[in-house]
Amino acid sequence: MSTTASVAAGMRRGILRAPVYVVLVIASVLAVVPFAWMAIASTHATSDLFGTPLPVLPGGELWVNLARLQESVDFSGVMLNSLVIAVIYTVFSSIVSIMCGYGLATYRFRGRGLLLGLVLVTMMIPMQVLLVPLFQMMASAGWIDTYQAVVLPFLANAFGIFLMRQGFLDFPVSLIEAARIDGANEFRTFYRIVLPVARPQIAALVIYTFISQWNAFIWPLLMLNTEDKYTVPVALNTMIGMSRVDYSGLMLGSLLATLPLMLLFLVFQKQFVSGLLGGAVKG
Amino acid sequence: MKRNILPLAVPIAALALLSGCAMGGSAPAAVTLDPDAELSGEITVWSWDVAATALDRLGAQFESDHPGTTVNVVDVGYDNAYDKLSVGLQAGSGLPDVVTIETDRAPGYINEFPTGLVDLTPVLGDAEADFDPFKWSAQSDADGALKVAPWDSGTVGLFFRTDYFEEAGVDPASIETWDDLLAAGETIKQATGHTLLSLDVASGGAFQLLLQQQGQGLFDASGDITITSPEAVEALTLLQTMNERGLLKNVKGWDGRVTSAKDGDSAVTPEAVWWIGTLLGDAPELSGRYGVTELPGFDADGARTSNSGGSGLAVPAQAKNPDLAAAFVEYALADTENQVSMMANEGLFPSYLPALADPYFQEPQEYFGGEPVYELFAEQTANIPPITFTTDNAEASDIVANAVVAAVLNGADPATALQDAAEQIATATGREIAE
Repeated sequence: MSTTASVAAGMRRGILRAPVYVVLVIASVLAVVPFAWMAIASTHATSDLFGTPLPVLPGGELWVNLARLQESVDFSGVMLNSLVIAVIYTVFSSIVSIMCGYGLATYRFRGRGLLLGLVLVTMMIPMQVLLVPLFQMMASAGWIDTYQAVVLPFLANAFGIFLMRQGFLDFPVSLIEAARIDGANEFRTFYRIVLPVARPQIAALVIYTFISQWNAFIWPLLMLNTEDKYTVPVALNTMIGMSRVDYSGLMLGSLLATLPLMLLFLVFQKQFVSGLLGGAVKG
Repeated sequence: MKRNILPLAVPIAALALLSGCAMGGSAPAAVTLDPDAELSGEITVWSWDVAATALDRLGAQFESDHPGTTVNVVDVGYDNAYDKLSVGLQAGSGLPDVVTIETDRAPGYINEFPTGLVDLTPVLGDAEADFDPFKWSAQSDADGALKVAPWDSGTVGLFFRTDYFEEAGVDPASIETWDDLLAAGETIKQATGHTLLSLDVASGGAFQLLLQQQGQGLFDASGDITITSPEAVEALTLLQTMNERGLLKNVKGWDGRVTSAKDGDSAVTPEAVWWIGTLLGDAPELSGRYGVTELPGFDADGARTSNSGGSGLAVPAQAKNPDLAAAFVEYALADTENQVSMMANEGLFPSYLPALADPYFQEPQEYFGGEPVYELFAEQTANIPPITFTTDNAEASDIVANAVVAAVLNGADPATALQDAAEQIATATGREIAE
């Protein structure tokens, strides 16, 4: 009696869950199909992509497309440019975000709320409003077509600061106080005690910061004026022609451009987990 | 909760001030070109796609003809070149010595930034009669100063599938008017099952093409709205009739049009000469199945062509070396040999009329079954009816596109749809509707 009841209950649960699975399956298909199409399209000639029916299996044009991509936009060169810019930006922007966020969360000083408000308000200024004045500033500094013009204006990232500040709000104050009582100065406390414990949130910040710079398009587009300085998104954009678009090259380029992001995610996922397990406060 | 709002009030007020201030840009002083200037130094040219390839090639040639000069050509990409251009003109700095601007964008930039681009008339003015008249007028300002030098033309012809016409027993040479084409379309549909033409109705582009064929733009020379004219109603009615008779296949966007051409959905494509490049590149397997003839006329002696696309070169007023820049523009565009070489190598169809007399344009084209199709476009380029553009063309185009959808796809009365659109444009732009 009891077994039949539990089987029936199990079935009922299964039936109840069915709609959830249907939704999940649909969502995964929606997420995977564009990516799969990007991979398939990158192995065909562009003219095949306009045919009916659309190709569903990988074709044999991968190396041809790769050679064309390398030749037309110097893909390996622009990948390197993008990496250099993104790494430099991520390192410095993260340092700024972590320190500002820590300061805003743990120190009590006059005007703290106002300062935080100011930081948040910069998030509300639309990019379109900033473009022209920022452009003028960079032009009068003689920085057009340089990497510092790409990196510097956005080094202090309001979202990053806010993200860190929210994270440090929950930081156990007792830990900081303990370090101070033991005679550590402020910098040592920050470096030795706070940073190791904050690893998970820093991993999240690094991933976010890197992706935002890796994908950045409009600002590098405006700043960089010579082909050998282009970043990946700016270079891929030049493959969209007036009356022809090199779709297979674009797809291959976009596919290759996602690889560093995946690598980054894999690396920091580990950090993420070890940070969680490393728990510093006991009892 | 209330207390938390206060700290935000001050920064928000500051933000409001900031964004208000950010709008100002410095207008550069007017630059007057000296046609006899000594040529030396360096210029940078922005272009895209095959156009950049062409200028790069001619740049090297220019350098060896004029020792002591350097021409750097940068491919800035087509899709967002205008973002760079707009910001640079607004900021008054950061632009190179020569930029590429398409014909339909040119009037907007010329009106928006009256001192942003150099008047090229001192260098090119003598050659006015040698250029596609439509390009020259569209790329000059209201006082007749040429701001964007005409480069390539978007002369329109009628591409047709020779195999479908043969199968249906229709002689393409017999098609003189749009009515002829409609009749031919019905015969072809019965015989082959193919529609007459594939169109992205929602873009409104076909309507404007038909309007320009009749010598009209969205506005007349005094800036009044002209889309309620009998010619406009006739153009829209034509598209509506095609759809009602099942001769129209509606496709989405550029990719939809290319796919439709590749699949052979329709028998004809009224499009500019650069469509040849698209066919050669994206539908090489259709070689030998296409022909080109003149666009059908609205009446027996009406214009048999129109314009779609094309571009030009401009010299921003902030250019560091405007005289060398203008000299290079003249070298590349107002020269038969160089224009022909751009046609032969990069497929850019010259707006410079003397170039069109070159034997190159009489050469048979293999893709078109050995027909010398460029000859037809060369003949028709001088016949493209000039029309007037205003700063409001972009906004008006969107409203007109909606009217085209309403009439063609949803069966609204063309005259009413255009009257509604004209009133909307009048409200949005403050312009009058022409009588």
